[in-house]
Amino acid sequence: MSTICSVTEEKALEINKFDFTYASADEPSLKQVTMPIAKNSITALIGPSGCGKSTLLRSINRMHDLYPGNKYEGEIMYNGRNILDEKEDLISLRVNIGMIFQKPTAFPMSIYDNVAYGLRLQGMRNKTELGDRVEKALKDAAIWKEVRDRLKHDANGLSGGQQQRLCIARAIAVEPEILLFDEPTSALDPISTQGIEELVTELKDKVSIVIVTHNMQQAARVSDYTGFMYLGELIELGKTEELFVTPKERLTEEYITGKFG
Amino acid sequence: MTHIIDKIFANATRLIAIIVLLITAWIFTVLFQESLLSMQTFGLDFVTESKWAPNLEKFGAFAAIMGSVISTFLAMVLAVPIAIGVAIFLSEIAHAKLKAPVGVSIELLAAIPSVIYGMWGLFYFVPIIRDIFGGIGIGMLTAGIVLAIMILPFMAAVTRDAMNTTPDILKESAYALGGTKWDVIKDIVIPYSKAGIIGALILALGRAIGETMAVTFVMGNVHKVSFDLTQPATSIPVTLANEFTEADTKLYFSSLFELALILLVISFTIISIAKFYFLRRTRRA
Repeated sequence: MSTICSVTEEKALEINKFDFTYASADEPSLKQVTMPIAKNSITALIGPSGCGKSTLLRSINRMHDLYPGNKYEGEIMYNGRNILDEKEDLISLRVNIGMIFQKPTAFPMSIYDNVAYGLRLQGMRNKTELGDRVEKALKDAAIWKEVRDRLKHDANGLSGGQQQRLCIARAIAVEPEILLFDEPTSALDPISTQGIEELVTELKDKVSIVIVTHNMQQAARVSDYTGFMYLGELIELGKTEELFVTPKERLTEEYITGKFG
Repeated sequence: MTHIIDKIFANATRLIAIIVLLITAWIFTVLFQESLLSMQTFGLDFVTESKWAPNLEKFGAFAAIMGSVISTFLAMVLAVPIAIGVAIFLSEIAHAKLKAPVGVSIELLAAIPSVIYGMWGLFYFVPIIRDIFGGIGIGMLTAGIVLAIMILPFMAAVTRDAMNTTPDILKESAYALGGTKWDVIKDIVIPYSKAGIIGALILALGRAIGETMAVTFVMGNVHKVSFDLTQPATSIPVTLANEFTEADTKLYFSSLFELALILLVISFTIISIAKFYFLRRTRRA
């Protein structure tokens, strides 16, 4: 049983009857998930731990392929093709669908080289062009003012919140169409969290965003659509203001009112 | 009551720790005392002279020191690239089903007693070297290669352990930007674990320089500095192993002790550098 609202905007992704099974498991961890993701909006995924929200997110950029034996079934349609297809070029898929992780993951290199990393992977060598793109990405990630004087410094010298914004800058530098956020503020203090949330909201003009969060208030604050997942199924997808005020499924209501978690 | 037991236990462990330190200090003292005669007789000439003539009571350690340095250098040059390759394979490339068995076999190889490497080297490896490079087959080159083979498993295992400390999430971040496996290895894994890798290499170097049995069989014990690697040569541990039983004069005996002291100082320095690297790494992590 699930209630999926209609998405009126153009769609960035369409997930259809998607099953996912980990190599180590017999049972699928995601069952028959069908979910449209709206373009230039923020879709939040909520649900208790182990419900499969991160698993779903990591399917969208085929992160599970890094570990052998994981199995996908169904469809994830993106730009008219099913990205679960065996012929899908994962390198270019991941350039178009970026990801931000639970913890800041600054690479062991300078601030500048971190942001330039994705661009260099694509073969960009021109110094002026690289410099411009790095500056633009850092400005878009609202961290330019803090780091402009120390671009050559080791990125690990930045604070947690700064590192996470650096990771966002690194991800948007390659100009992806979709950005996946996997609990991006779970390792951050409240002030840094607020900064990241504001940044996420500003980014939706440029990219479509899917954000996994264990924090319902965060979903309510930042997202346009919210999906509630439970035991590997998408129970309900609704416009955020509607889902939190008038949930259509009993399970959703029990979860958002704190009856279980 | 428990308080007293805790106290007794704490003091007992402290005592044991102190005993270890005392033994180390004792070894240093003994080596130093026994070397005094040789130090007084030869002074600095001991390390710069290569003439080693027990019948004339002339002892110069230069050939042995150079032998240790050259054979170790040779072993490192041969072993480092292979060990790093094996470590990359085990940590990043091998399928999970292959990682454990191959990893364990390499650790088992590291446990082969060095005397076995020596015997194998003498009977099976020396003839091959003789056929390919000429000479009698016993010498610096053979010693370097046998040493390289001997330290390779240890070096690969410790390097792999260092690479395995790279957090998955960091590697995933690079993949998420469109990185290939090779990009992730060279830009993330190696830079991240660099200090650990250097530590591993230096630890292996420490093993190579002090290695006795494996090289005693294949080096030749000839006190001569030669840059022709197929010639027989000697190293500090080889000299010690071969000559202690023959040291019939006080000065001969003392000279061997000074040689041992030099080896101990070299090994000690190398291991300290490695530990310093490792410690710095673990503190940061």
